[in-house]
Amino acid sequence: MNLKASNFVMWAAILQLVFLISVPLRAQDAAATLSGAIIDPTGAAVSNARISVTNVATGQSIEAHSDSAGLYSVPNLTPGEYQISISAEKFSTNESRVTLIAGAKQTTNLTLAGVLSLGDLGFSESQTQGNAQAQARLDKRSHMLKIHQRLGLIAAAPLLATVILGPGAGGKSTSSTDRWTHMALGAATGDLYFMSAYYAIRAPRIPGTETRGPIRVHKALAWIHGPGMILTPILGAIAFNQKSRGEKVHGIASAHGPVAIVTAAAYGAAILSVSFKF
Amino acid sequence: MHNRKIKILIVLLLVGLPTFAQTDSQWVLEQSTLTYHVSHPLHQVEGVSHEARGKGVCHAGQCDFLIAAPVKSFNSGDSNRDLHTLQVARGGQFPIVTVRTHLPESAAGSATIHADLEVQFAGQTAAFNQIEFQQQTQGNETRISGTIPSKLTDFKIDPPSLLTIAVKNEIPVRVEMTWRKEK
Repeated sequence: MNLKASNFVMWAAILQLVFLISVPLRAQDAAATLSGAIIDPTGAAVSNARISVTNVATGQSIEAHSDSAGLYSVPNLTPGEYQISISAEKFSTNESRVTLIAGAKQTTNLTLAGVLSLGDLGFSESQTQGNAQAQARLDKRSHMLKIHQRLGLIAAAPLLATVILGPGAGGKSTSSTDRWTHMALGAATGDLYFMSAYYAIRAPRIPGTETRGPIRVHKALAWIHGPGMILTPILGAIAFNQKSRGEKVHGIASAHGPVAIVTAAAYGAAILSVSFKF
Repeated sequence: MHNRKIKILIVLLLVGLPTFAQTDSQWVLEQSTLTYHVSHPLHQVEGVSHEARGKGVCHAGQCDFLIAAPVKSFNSGDSNRDLHTLQVARGGQFPIVTVRTHLPESAAGSATIHADLEVQFAGQTAAFNQIEFQQQTQGNETRISGTIPSKLTDFKIDPPSLLTIAVKNEIPVRVEMTWRKEK
């Protein structure tokens, strides 16, 4: 190899070396870095915020997290337009766009807005904080009223049968079987009725609740069928004794039938008032 | 020296521009009517609340909204039913129903918006995606109306029954709100 040729090879090698070294250097120069601070509306640093940097053109995304001082850095970004999304616990997500030029060291500080709270809406803590006792009171109330409803509906069956058998037990009838059956059904009705009434009366009241709607009719009717359910068996017992002695039902006992009819009607209306929408 | 001042000025302007672009604004709920609908073979019940409160905070073109109403504020016209509803919805323990949504500030100009809602009710959180709302703006006020297709099972509520017949699982909530924009 002559001197010219060896010089050529040497220069070629040097050029190749320079080229090989310069390629990554040029690529490194072209890469941009995005960095900055994440702060809250008061200016305090937000640590561990998640920073997602997405290249708008390619859709490629890189993630980073802010450090304890709220600082973040995303190196080696190719030039272009980027969508930055920052999120952190107890803060709403903030999004913004930035265009990075080749080799830029872009500083973008971002503020995270605090998530709105019920306090921001003017609700006091007592309004927003529920408690297990209040729920337990509601649960007990519903449970007792369900039993009240079921027993009340069951009581309607013997009540209806008692009313139907009434004419056979009283009037000119002399059958003691009819009288006893009527009395037994009436007693069963009374037992179920007062058990049902117990659950309605003893159900916990919910403070601050105004009574409105059909329940007002339901409660008002109780002032008719309640005394009626007490009076009817008393009058019935007197009538029963009179009939057992072979007498015609007379005096106050003769009101047993009409009182029973009014009581049964009020009771039926009370059930309908909460069962159907009028 | 003069060039240096100009450079500093340009840098300050460039730094300052995003700050101007991120002007905050907020929305306040002026009036609202929230109506739930419950279906039962014997009843069609509607419970209405006018006691919702709401706020929206906008920052850098993005707005966060929070709307909340006391569960006990829903009135169906029957206090007994409302108390039973309150019990079923675990309103003693979770007295407030909240709705959160995140919208771009640019949505304010559209006639229709599609919002992803996060609803907290009865101790449960349910997401309702792309719910359509109609929007009408007059001056500073914006009226929004739409229906959230909620279900009892979304909030793990057992359908209550009347005369042993359970109500339908669907409880759509009609939303009518008037918002006012504040700077």
